[in-house]
Amino acid sequence: MVDLGVAELTIEMVAESQMGLKALGAGLAVGLTGIGAGVAEMGIGSAAVGATAENKDIFGLALLLTVIPETIVIFGLVVSLLILF
Amino acid sequence: MLQPKTMTRLLIVGSKEQMPSAVTELYRHHVFHITDYTDQGKEGYEGFRIGQPMEGATELSTDLIRIRSIENTFGLSPDDYFDANKRSAYSIKEIIERDLPAIDREVSNLTAQRSAAEARIKVIEQRIAELTPFSGIPLELGLYKGYETVSVVAGKAPRDIEITVPHEKFFTSAKDDGTMVIFFKNDDRAVVEQALAEAEFQPIPIPDEEGSVRKAIDTYQSEISQLNASIADIDEKIAAIKEKHGTFLAACDEVLSADVEQAEAPLRFATSDLVFIADGWVPVSEVENLKSGLAQATGDKILVMEVGETDDHHDDHENQPPVEYDNPGFAKPMQAIVDIYSRPKYDELDPTLMVAIIFPLFFGIILGDIGYGSVLLILALVLQRILKGEAVQQLLKVLRNASISAIIFGVFYAEIFGAHPGALDIELWHPLISRHLLIGSHAYHQGDIAVLLVFAVWLGIIQMTLGRFMGVYNHARHKNMLHVMGQMSWIAFMWGVLLLIWSIAAIPLMPDLTMLPPIVMGLNIAGIIGAVLALAGVIGIGIESPLELIELPSVISHSLSYTRLAAVGLSSVAIAMVVNFIAIEMLIQPQFEELTAVGIVLIIIGIFVLLIGHLLNTALGLLGGGLQSLRLQYVEFFTKFYKGGGEKYNPFGKKRNLTED
Repeated sequence: MVDLGVAELTIEMVAESQMGLKALGAGLAVGLTGIGAGVAEMGIGSAAVGATAENKDIFGLALLLTVIPETIVIFGLVVSLLILF
Repeated sequence: MLQPKTMTRLLIVGSKEQMPSAVTELYRHHVFHITDYTDQGKEGYEGFRIGQPMEGATELSTDLIRIRSIENTFGLSPDDYFDANKRSAYSIKEIIERDLPAIDREVSNLTAQRSAAEARIKVIEQRIAELTPFSGIPLELGLYKGYETVSVVAGKAPRDIEITVPHEKFFTSAKDDGTMVIFFKNDDRAVVEQALAEAEFQPIPIPDEEGSVRKAIDTYQSEISQLNASIADIDEKIAAIKEKHGTFLAACDEVLSADVEQAEAPLRFATSDLVFIADGWVPVSEVENLKSGLAQATGDKILVMEVGETDDHHDDHENQPPVEYDNPGFAKPMQAIVDIYSRPKYDELDPTLMVAIIFPLFFGIILGDIGYGSVLLILALVLQRILKGEAVQQLLKVLRNASISAIIFGVFYAEIFGAHPGALDIELWHPLISRHLLIGSHAYHQGDIAVLLVFAVWLGIIQMTLGRFMGVYNHARHKNMLHVMGQMSWIAFMWGVLLLIWSIAAIPLMPDLTMLPPIVMGLNIAGIIGAVLALAGVIGIGIESPLELIELPSVISHSLSYTRLAAVGLSSVAIAMVVNFIAIEMLIQPQFEELTAVGIVLIIIGIFVLLIGHLLNTALGLLGGGLQSLRLQYVEFFTKFYKGGGEKYNPFGKKRNLTED
């Protein structure tokens, strides 16, 4: 007779579910920071394109300002790498 | 290297008779950067004035405009002809006199014909648009007009409209709008109009033509195709003329542009009734050459003065020398990249050489793959042969250097298209630092992720310290001691924080100072030195500018920002490994055990996935590797010392490609 009421929890299952949670955490780290960087770059990027259209000389500065929030998502990526490996 | 070319300011003074020959000589040497003279323009000012263009400038400009307009019609630009045979400028001038009017007449004739045809097509298309609504109504066009007691109204109506007075009505329903034509007695006009107004009826004009609507439309359409044929014919003729005279026109453009520029040069000089003064800058190495050239051309009747450097030119933006890069050959392509940011000022360090070394290095660290590197190298070499133009060539050289560096790092990482050569059971060499992830059954090495990240931070620390020291040098040259101290404080703060961290935590690849015996508050000797350095740094930064204090965390965020070198690279490795896993292990390999028809299809799909996946990853690697390492230069490196905003050295004259004297 198999007792269906009691589930057995093995060490492997615990380890697997820990891995799963780690993966979830890593995914959240990249995904959420990606959204954050995207929102930040949205405003900067559109303003930068507008400004560049007015005056081509500031392209370099515009690019620089646009990529500043990029760091956020890089941090997310680094954190997720540290979680996973 | 690290410095723009040194410039000497020259004042060239001569009598006005010597001006044309002096200008020609200056143009030929192509080294004199003219500083435009601006006269005071005040009431009653009686000094030097801006010069007048030389004789013949107007005629030359007219000719040039004519040539440019023909070029415009042809859609040709003189740059397309840079490898044609050179012609003598003198013969070109003769041909301009002789042939140009004829070519001009022919071309303007053809363009006039073409625009007439195009205008006619517009008119006819309008007619057709007016006729089309009536095509569904079974009446000849002549029947719509010429009545005395009957009126006609035509228009668009969404549905059939009920009218209460005697009338004759035609309605064709179409998808969105039907056409309705109503004939009614003149006396009933008010009733009809009211009924129509209530029913969203939009009147349209009745075309003024005879005969059947279909037939009229057909006639117009055949006329349009005739006109289109004749336009194509004209275009062909224009293309033939372009083929025949293209090089000649490009050469004319070059000769005339040179002449016009020379004739208008006096507009940039200071002149009085008898003399002219040209003010400008020449690279030091060219001064003697130019002087002797001018003396020869004018028979020693001209005075060339070297103006000594004045001490106050830092504040005087008018008199800043123009900036010309002075870099060894391999760093030259990078000048375009620095120019995108901004050209260096004359009195600041030119970062081009640094960037020329660091940019390919970083690109290699990020991409680091023998396979992708080779693909990009081949791409760069092939495009160098196909694409023309100076800027593009320079950028391709940058790409070439970067992809070579990627191949070298690919060897260090032992990666070919994301796979270790061991994946094919060939164990050639072990990676120096592994970026391999445990994806797929052939995964051999666990990646040294922490080591990679710390390595990237180390590069950041070194580059930022270098940047700060360059900042120190720039400020020291301006004797700006406050800012020198500020920059030194930043260095002290950064290394102080580092020492503190080392004394508290052991980090791979970094010195481990946790073993030293603690002295006070749990800090050991290294920790105390670090804390003191950091504190001194904070005080120094605060003295330079208290506002800078809010920037303190940037030391941490900027060094962590360099971890992108490892992180972006790892993400590209992960994509490559996943592509390999899906294509080879999931799709292709299982089929070889037992070949079936479905299996062959799956193998083909697998190859397709492999190609598309690696193609996308190459593009991503190029973009990620290029932009990220560029950004590290622009944001993390340049902001430490580099201002930019120098005036580009733009010498008077032009390199001739198509003509010679």
